[in-house]
Amino acid sequence: MTPTTGMPHGGAASRRTFLRAAGALGGVVVLSAAAGVPLAAAAGARTRVYVLVTDGCRPDEVTADLTPNLYALRRAGTWYPNARSLPVMETIPNHVMMMTGVRPDRSGVPANAVFDRLEGAVRDLDRATDLRFPTVIERLNAAGYRTGTVLSKKYLHGIFGTRATYRWEPAPLVPVTNHAPDAFTTDALISMVDSVDPDLVFTNLGDIDRVGHSDLTGSTTLEVARTAALASTDQQVGRFVQHLKDTGRWEASVLVVLADHSMDWSVPTRVVSLAPALDADPLLTGRVQIAQNGGADLLYWTGNAADRPAAVTRIRGVVGGVTGVLSTHLPTDLRLGPEAGDVVAYCKAGWRFSDPAVWSNPIPGNHGHPVTEPIPFFLAGGSRRVAFGEVRTDVAHTVDVGPTVGELFGLPAPSGGYDGTSRL
Amino acid sequence: MIERRTFLAGSAAAAAVLGPGGALAQPAAATSTSAGAFRHGIASGDPLPDAVLLWTRVTPTADSLPGSGCGPRVAVGWQVATDPGFRLVVAHGSTVTGPERDHTVKVDAKGLTPATAYYYRFTFDRTTSPVGRTRTAPAPTSSPDRLRFALVSCSNWEAGYFSAYRHLAARGDLDAVLHMGDYVYEYGTGQYAYGQSNAVVRPHEPAHEMVTLADYRQRHAQYKTDPDLQALHAAVPWITTWDDHETANDAWSGGAENHQPDEGDWATRKAVARTAYDEWMPVRLSGTSALGDGVQVYRHLQFGRLADLTMLDLRSYRSQQVATTDLGSAGDSARTITGAAQLQFLKDRLADNDAVWKLVGNPVMISPVLFPPLDQYVAGPVADMTGVLPPDGVAYNVDQWDGYTADRRELVDFLADRGVTNTLFLTGDIHSAWACELPVDPGTYPLSRTVGVELVATSVTSNNLDDLTGSPPRTTSLAVEDAIKASNRHVKYLDFDSHGYSVLTITPREIQMDWYVTSDRADQAATSTWSTGWRVAAGSSKLTAATGEAR
Repeated sequence: MTPTTGMPHGGAASRRTFLRAAGALGGVVVLSAAAGVPLAAAAGARTRVYVLVTDGCRPDEVTADLTPNLYALRRAGTWYPNARSLPVMETIPNHVMMMTGVRPDRSGVPANAVFDRLEGAVRDLDRATDLRFPTVIERLNAAGYRTGTVLSKKYLHGIFGTRATYRWEPAPLVPVTNHAPDAFTTDALISMVDSVDPDLVFTNLGDIDRVGHSDLTGSTTLEVARTAALASTDQQVGRFVQHLKDTGRWEASVLVVLADHSMDWSVPTRVVSLAPALDADPLLTGRVQIAQNGGADLLYWTGNAADRPAAVTRIRGVVGGVTGVLSTHLPTDLRLGPEAGDVVAYCKAGWRFSDPAVWSNPIPGNHGHPVTEPIPFFLAGGSRRVAFGEVRTDVAHTVDVGPTVGELFGLPAPSGGYDGTSRL
Repeated sequence: MIERRTFLAGSAAAAAVLGPGGALAQPAAATSTSAGAFRHGIASGDPLPDAVLLWTRVTPTADSLPGSGCGPRVAVGWQVATDPGFRLVVAHGSTVTGPERDHTVKVDAKGLTPATAYYYRFTFDRTTSPVGRTRTAPAPTSSPDRLRFALVSCSNWEAGYFSAYRHLAARGDLDAVLHMGDYVYEYGTGQYAYGQSNAVVRPHEPAHEMVTLADYRQRHAQYKTDPDLQALHAAVPWITTWDDHETANDAWSGGAENHQPDEGDWATRKAVARTAYDEWMPVRLSGTSALGDGVQVYRHLQFGRLADLTMLDLRSYRSQQVATTDLGSAGDSARTITGAAQLQFLKDRLADNDAVWKLVGNPVMISPVLFPPLDQYVAGPVADMTGVLPPDGVAYNVDQWDGYTADRRELVDFLADRGVTNTLFLTGDIHSAWACELPVDPGTYPLSRTVGVELVATSVTSNNLDDLTGSPPRTTSLAVEDAIKASNRHVKYLDFDSHGYSVLTITPREIQMDWYVTSDRADQAATSTWSTGWRVAAGSSKLTAATGEAR
């Protein structure tokens, strides 16, 4: 493929340059880059790192039959079978943990959705300014490396913004889920590698996760759809690996393959709605905002600050007594910052939160609660930096990706150090 | 477990005795009269990274017989070395024993190096014990490439010889032996022995059911004279818990099926059984090697980041089994099999997640087992062996977790809610071999989530289905097994007929349990054959059949 440069969006032309490339699906892949950055492939056999997030994949779904490519990569590489997502087990905070190497109390990104006290509204943390800690992406750029983001979800594209040297804006987007299918995402990944060959590419493959979210019919077709999505995503991973091999890149490649969280399913009768219980309490009624995050609710006291200690105690008492609630926590206990509010509530396995009303969340597949902590996590690739055929007993976490990438490039730890550990 | 029908049949029968090969013979003289200060062998147990418990029993004078209360107080020396020739002794000492503790010796040898093989021996007067070999646990933060444990249970002296122990002792590749209980049996001679007629392969001492402290001491002492048992104790550290027969059949916190009013107060009987267990087993009760300082046998052991092991006590704190006329109460939330403190202890350990594999030493089965309607020919024996009551078809064995479903629901929900992975229940009790996945909801399995796997070792000698039906092995039982598996799709493997032992090979990548079948229990030289193996890949909670023995 021969990259061509152009300016498809005139308004941004003054600040960005664009690259158009043909994808395997016959479409055109459009990549953007910061102004002044060359859109040409670099030569050399230096290490390339590809972080591949199989969004929402459960560790028990990586099998020889269902996902043969992922299984083979895991078997040949360095596998951490005791790996976990971190609170809140949602997409945005865990992707941020991967790229910063620090917990949400340092990054400012504790969940997908928060109640923004300044704006007085619940919103997604999908703005580049929401992320307050330097990512390895930016720090690599500063060290002279070139980075790329190929993120299938609109809100991930939003929060990582223009940090990477090269970006792909997810397209086409599936209605409802706001994500690009993995075939298109993989097209973009391959195009980016072929055209500009970044040292680090951070990729999110959203199909596995989005099957759970988009199937509103319940569980009747879910298993079939999930299986199809796993097989399809696995094919895309296989296609990317084969491409690296076909183009002579494999021996210089390190793949960090993991999920941001896993997935839990609930039936419509197992729905927890906290708003009615909170509104029934005279102290709390009308004074608690809820940011719903699937299997976790973030609760914000909006009343008089002086009443906050009593209100927090009351919230925990009320919420803890609601059927389907597993536990309540103070954000500090989970290393979540003030953005997470005053109380975090988890639901039990097989349940989901739906606020403010029981019909607000019709999605059967959810995450955010502890049952969705286990994730696949392994290093693969042809690079000698990867230990081949090893299984390690350490408990790996999403936050370990940052220090792993940092070590691969010899990047010093950020100010204050990492919260994760290199898993190289 | 419930063996009422067998028990009644045995009581009515004369105490026939089987010799090697199954031929009728005169009772052999008990070997506990054999001479030597260390005639009951040596043992080690409960390995920690820096300590191992060492055990022996000394017979200083001819009258210092187990349970006699006779004999002098004497000093016994002990040594631990890194070589079998004891040129490099790394720990040593001396301790005093006497009739007040039935001349048993328990030493907690400390200051040892993790993941290291050691040799130990005892000295008394000018006598030296046989040399034992033991091994410390790996350091807590280490990552062992492999662990290998034997899993055994239900070793009834009168039902046969402990060839399983002999074959395990010969392996030389074990890190520990896990015994899930029924290490000794309480019955009097002929009450519960070999096959349909309860033929006695070798008679119990004392000949009557053990009830008093002296009885329990003598019975433990007799088992400790078995050469195969001695060989395995000398070769590998053991990690043991008790089930019911260490006190009496179907024990619960306030009594037992096999405890009658004319046998005295239950609390007293339970206490003396615990005392004898503490004296005679290489185990730290309440965390120490001392006697009389507590009887808590549930405990936690760590094997680096590869595995941790929580051993349970499912007899001391449990509610009474539900009556056959009241099976609907099995799910009553007021009833417990663990007791609240032990269940919390288990949940805390499982949540800790500092090891890939969370092993639970689980004396009785936790997997739900719904028995299908059975042919009357086999229904009775199945009921005898498994405790299904009544024998013509009610669903659950109420002596297992099936009889305490509130506790099981709490534990299963906990595993699901917290996303606890790689949990394995290692089980005995049921005289049969099982491999099951543990579903959150057995009714919707396999569509619903599984939270762990249960692997059940069969009995070393205690009767199982073909013994009770009188059928040749692997004939009539096959239909029963198929019927149970059809009704319980989470049950992947079931062998109702075989005796033997299991070996668990643990690596970071997977666990494999291998089942080995021994030939005739009445044959002192019984052979051992690999039967099958089942694997669990890390992260999967799914069973797959192995193609051969784990290497």
